[in-house]
Order: sequence, then C-alpha cells, then structure tokens
Amino acid sequence: MIPFELAEPTSLAAAVKLLDPDDETVRPIAGGTALMLMMKAGVFRPAKLVSLRKIERQYAAIAAGADGLTIGAMTTLGTLERSAEVRKLAPLITRTCLTLSNVRVRNVATVGGAMAHGDPHMDLPPVLMALGASVTVAGPDGERTLAVEDLFSGYYETVLAKNELIASVKIPAQGSKRAAYMKVTTGSVDDWPALGVAVVLDGEGDTITSARIVASAATEKATRLTLAEAEMNGQHVDETLLQRAGDAAADEAELVADVRGSVPYKRELMRVYVGRAVAAAWRGAGLNND
Amino acid sequence: MSAPRVIGFTLNGVPVTALAEPHHNLIELLQTQFGLTGARESCGQGLCGCCTVLVNGLAVSGCLYLASFVDGATVATIEGFDGAGKLSAEQEAFIETGAFQCGYCTSGFIVMTAQLLDEHPEPTDDQIKHYLSGNLCRCAAYPEIIAAVKLAAQKRKARGAAFATTSRA
Ligand code: FES
Ligand code: FES
Repeated sequence: MIPFELAEPTSLAAAVKLLDPDDETVRPIAGGTALMLMMKAGVFRPAKLVSLRKIERQYAAIAAGADGLTIGAMTTLGTLERSAEVRKLAPLITRTCLTLSNVRVRNVATVGGAMAHGDPHMDLPPVLMALGASVTVAGPDGERTLAVEDLFSGYYETVLAKNELIASVKIPAQGSKRAAYMKVTTGSVDDWPALGVAVVLDGEGDTITSARIVASAATEKATRLTLAEAEMNGQHVDETLLQRAGDAAADEAELVADVRGSVPYKRELMRVYVGRAVAAAWRGAGLNND
Repeated sequence: MSAPRVIGFTLNGVPVTALAEPHHNLIELLQTQFGLTGARESCGQGLCGCCTVLVNGLAVSGCLYLASFVDGATVATIEGFDGAGKLSAEQEAFIETGAFQCGYCTSGFIVMTAQLLDEHPEPTDDQIKHYLSGNLCRCAAYPEIIAAVKLAAQKRKARGAAFATTSRA
C-alpha cells in the first residue's frame, strides 16, 4: 500500500472534525477490512485515514430495550453474532452473521462499516432494511436519523456527507414477525453473493398482513421490492402467491451484470429466490445459504 | 506526515514496542520488526487464513489488519504457542494426526483452532467446518485437520486449565 497519514482521535466529535467534506482522500476507517482490500488493489489511495478505533466505547456497545436494539456503529459483526440480546430481539441478524464472510472478518469488521461502505454485496444492509432499522448519523452540525432504506444512493454510494459518521443503528424488535435472509453464491459457497433476498413478514393465521422484501447484490444497491411486497399483502401463502411474488420481483428489479451472473440469469434467480425466501420466512425456517 | 509512530503491545506474553508505519499491515510489522514468519501473507485478501494472528484472543487476518491497530492489544502468533517450552494441545494434535503435507497453511489453521476451542471446547463437525471455512489448505488435508481439531479438544481437556499458556492469555 502507498504511505498515508493515520489519525486516531479519541472522540466521535473529534473524528468528525478531522474529516473533510470536500476531500476524497481523507476517509474514516473502522475495522478496515474492506478499505484494506481497496488500498491493496490500488483503487483507493488515501492521503489520510481517520481511525475510529479509539473513540468512546459506547459506540461499540449493544443496548437492548423493550422495543428493540441500539447498536453502536463500532460493534464488530462477531460481537453482534454472539450477543444474546440480538439473538432474542432480532434473531434474523444472528443467523445472517453466521453466513457472513468468515470468523476472522467478523472479528474485525464493524456494523457501521458494513453500511457506510455502500457495497451492495454485503449481507447486513438488506437485512437491516427489511427489519425497518434506522441509523443515527453524526456530523458537524449535530445528529440526524434516517432509515437504513434511505441510506444508499448507488453502487458503493451513500447519502452521507464525507464528514458524517454513522454513530449507531436502531433495530426494532422482531417480535412475532417472521423473517429470512437467503443468498445465492454462484462461485464457491463463501463467495460474494450474486443475489441476496431479505424478507420480513407479519401475518395472521395463514394470511400475510405486511411484507418487506429487500434485494441486494444483483442490484446496484440494496433495494426494496415494493411491487412484490404489494403482491403479498392480505394474501394467503400458497404456491401461486410465491410465484406471483417472484414474478413481480423479477419484473421490477433493476439488475446489474457482473462476474457472478448476467442480467437474465439474475432475473431468474430473483424469480425463484424471492418465493423461496418468503416461504422460508413463513415456515420459520429463517435462513438458507444455497 | 505519514511518519512511523511508536506503538506498544504484548506479543506472545512479552510487552514490546515497535515502530509502526501507518500503511503497514500486521504481517509486515511482525516480519520486519520481530522476525516472526509463522503468520504469512498468501492471498492477501482475507480468504486463506495463512496470516491468522490472535488479537485480544480473537483471530484476525494479519494481511488486512493495520499494524497500528495492535497498539495496546495482546497479540499471539504461532511462535508463542509453545511459549512454555511445550507444544500447545493444537500443535501436538496436528502433528500426531499428520494434518498437513507441505505445512504452509498449518500455522493459520492452528491459530484459528485456538479461538474455536476457546469458544467451543467440544466442537461439533459443523462448528469445526464453520470456524475453519476461512482457512484454505492447498494440499487438501481437510479430513486430517478435522480429526486434529477433535484431538486437540481432547488434549486441552486432559491438560485442564494449564493449556492456556501465558502467551495467549
Ligand atoms: S493472506 Fe491473509 S487471509 Fe490469505
Ligand atoms: S498442508 Fe499444504 S497447504 Fe495445507
């Protein structure tokens, strides 16, 4: 890697001050896994990195309340995976962590980094979106809160200013909602996904009362599939409905081709996997990794 | 202003200081300043596990970990596993099981096994595969590696708490 300067502020406020809204070569670094890959490949050549590792410890803590979880942005994915509170209040997160990269990456990578990086292949963003999570963002003028759904603006792009930092994420308790996250890896099992589908359903008897369906990896950013969602509301779950949801998803999704699959291939994956993920959520099977 | 800076950490049980270049990773630090080559960079992308090092008891990919990040931490490399003059349970088990051919991947597997057994003293096959899924063995000694992990678990149990050499604490 090329030489760069490393700043290690001891507070979030100081970190925000060190960032420059107009300078792309100054960037925050948390766990660093994704940035290190970019720097090694030479696609990111920073002049200065602002490390967040020494900011206040509260930003690496998990707080549980009756209505859900507040998770500090510096919490590692491994801590998330092992947290009893997370397992209790948002079991979909725990299950997702288990298939997310490998143990070494999870020991280092952070919740905030997984969102701020804006990489559409990551597993956590679609799951957080489906669960209706929101982030608190700290900037020079104080804090603001926005839905994770509104965070991503494009391929590796977020709506965050260059001197804004995600401070924490709030996840509503899953409660009686049924949820699943499925990803399709077309290379090795541990490869980046060609498609991720997160589904969170509310139901009464055998009827779906509300559905949130989010696709990732095959799209330029994690995206809610609102037509597929509308297709499900108030419906009984049966084969026909699963097919209709899959068709709606395949029709509405704006797909991008990459080494993991062409657009027509991903469209077929979408058609099949949206139905499978809905079925898995409804059955309570939770998560599969095909 | 990318000047190297002095960091302090515990390395295999010994407090040390080092001059860390901001753009160096942990493997570069361990190799250039401490002559430790057990953790080595192979894929350089977090995929193979050859560079596995324990930081505060948790396995990290040294190839993707900034050297400066170990400031104040406790670091354990394979070289510390026989720190007490006796091979660790994992090392003994890998040797007795013949869980390698060329040996290039072995230190990484052993260090990763340490975190696995810390968290799951009696791991199931699934847990073993799950924890080791980020370690690759080109010689494909996988069946022997799984057997070695199970043997290491038994050996740890037999040794009791004494297995935890000061170097990994
Ligand atoms: S060299 Fe670090 S994981 Fe392969
Ligand atoms: S023993 Fe040769 S790579 Fe594993």
